[in-house]
Amino acid sequence: MTKRFALRDLVDDRPQDGVFRVNRTLFRDPALFDLEMKHVFEGGWVFIGLSTQAENPNDYFTGFIGRVPIIVSRDGKGELRCFVNACPHKGVRLIQKLCGNASRHVCPYHSWTFDSAGTNRNIKWKKAGCYGAGFDEENHDLATVARFGEYRGFLFASLNPDVPTLDEHLGEARKLIDLVVDKSPEGIELVPGRVTFTYAANWKMQLENCSDQYHFTSTHPSYIRILDQRAKEQASEVVQSSIGAADFWQEDASGVTGGTFSFDHGHVLNWGVMPVSAALPEYEHAETWAALHGAAKRNWMFNMRNLTIFPNLQIAENASSQMRVIRPIAHNLTEMQTWCIAPRGESAKARSFRIRQYEDFFNPTGMATPDDTVCYEEAQTGMAEQQRPWLQGHARGLMASVPGGNDFGDMIDLKPAHSVLADAQLCDESLFGSYYRAWATRMTQALS
Amino acid sequence: MGDTHDAGAVVTAIGQVEAAAFLAREALYLDSGDYDAWLDLYTVDCLFWMPAWRDDGTQTDDPERELSLIYYHGRRNLEDRIQRIRSGFSVASAVMPRVAHMIGNVLAETIDESRVRIDSSFIVNVNDVRTHRSHAYFGRYEHELRLEDDTWKISRKIIRLMNDVVPTMLDVYGI
Repeated sequence: MTKRFALRDLVDDRPQDGVFRVNRTLFRDPALFDLEMKHVFEGGWVFIGLSTQAENPNDYFTGFIGRVPIIVSRDGKGELRCFVNACPHKGVRLIQKLCGNASRHVCPYHSWTFDSAGTNRNIKWKKAGCYGAGFDEENHDLATVARFGEYRGFLFASLNPDVPTLDEHLGEARKLIDLVVDKSPEGIELVPGRVTFTYAANWKMQLENCSDQYHFTSTHPSYIRILDQRAKEQASEVVQSSIGAADFWQEDASGVTGGTFSFDHGHVLNWGVMPVSAALPEYEHAETWAALHGAAKRNWMFNMRNLTIFPNLQIAENASSQMRVIRPIAHNLTEMQTWCIAPRGESAKARSFRIRQYEDFFNPTGMATPDDTVCYEEAQTGMAEQQRPWLQGHARGLMASVPGGNDFGDMIDLKPAHSVLADAQLCDESLFGSYYRAWATRMTQALS
Repeated sequence: MGDTHDAGAVVTAIGQVEAAAFLAREALYLDSGDYDAWLDLYTVDCLFWMPAWRDDGTQTDDPERELSLIYYHGRRNLEDRIQRIRSGFSVASAVMPRVAHMIGNVLAETIDESRVRIDSSFIVNVNDVRTHRSHAYFGRYEHELRLEDDTWKISRKIIRLMNDVVPTMLDVYGI
């Protein structure tokens, strides 16, 4: 079969020439989007939720892997399972709710019934049904996903069985998940209250933005001015800010202020130095964490960190802490599912501080995210340009990127594929290369 | 109730008609972009709160332990929002959406002589001029008004947004 797209026309990856370019087609082509859904989202590991979202026996929550509806269910014995959320009978979506607790799930259409382990428990009026022998030979249970795994409460699944193990897929990025989870001996949890928004642009705009330090002072000056003002006032009724206390984004900051790490399979981190100070809700644990994990790891737990686990999970720890799940809907429409992620057992004061900062910065009803999403949409409009199909947005830092890690990563024994040490103005874009190389790997079968 | 009245106080009871007029005036200020007049309707210590949804059917109700879409205690924070909108440095506010509030089902309930609670339903039609897209946000308001120096001010406004999947952005003038 003739393949419509050739990789060389989409991603221009020539490290020996100092070139990395991405074609606008990746953002604007509906046919390419369909291939992405099949091969990137339905063809490999994707994040599907936290184990704490189904904490007790028979708890469940629903979601999607690519376009396929799924259920994550803890069965009666306490084991987590993942199924396709569709009755084998007529394909009807079995569970309509976002989350709940039930030991039995009855299909609303013809009452086929399943338990929380996905096993078919009843086919209505089966004996009277005059079924042929072939029917009995079919499996009437809910379809399981091909691969399902957990790393420290983070759940991942793949509809394609031909994938590396989850440990291989996550690789060194597991150490960055550890920095999130180790904030409490009880682990982390989602603060109640989920916020969902859409934007009319390609999913890769969000993918990149999370690890794009370059945009911060350009896109968010209105927010930064308010941070400055609040810092001067120190009034008790104004929402306080952590990011205002850091200087990794200030153009006049000197020395190494942060950098980026990129990993195999598309995972990346960009980070900035944040002082261990009362400007962060974590400060109440500063001594405990140093004793438990050592000062170096403790300091990393305070640093600004934006982590992407390719292709759909992002954990932003900067002004408060956010877990984002990217759900592409169309080449020019994306749904973002977002939560405040927090260490269990933190003090009421720290939790409230975390929540207030979160709302102001991360919500689509806040003062920062709207300026991002509007830029994504303006990018989507501009992607129509024809005469110069190659974007110029993946070139910063190419000459600063080195194979392997650096002294900062060594503090937590981090062994990335590539790293960049940055001053405040470098604002590396070379880490995006990790996204597109992983993208190309997943798309191999679809591209010539 | 009447026997504790301070003889000098001006007590203007708010009935259904006055309550609806008060809400219509707030809507007018937002619809016409008169944000100074809008802020002036609020007490300095006001609560401005739009809860998030926990799941399909329940909203968050403890803002200290649960997430809200917007939660501010103190008018000072609303002033920040207006400052950002007017700053010229927010691309989301560069081409201002046009909005029209429709408020109905107004029910006023006197709490005491200087406080009244008003329940209402709203639809806010937002035309995002930048993209020519229109969207209607809808839900319920719960206002609490307090008499301050003979003037009724909003001491508390809870916005219960029913269609909470936000297309791109939503700011204080759109709810």
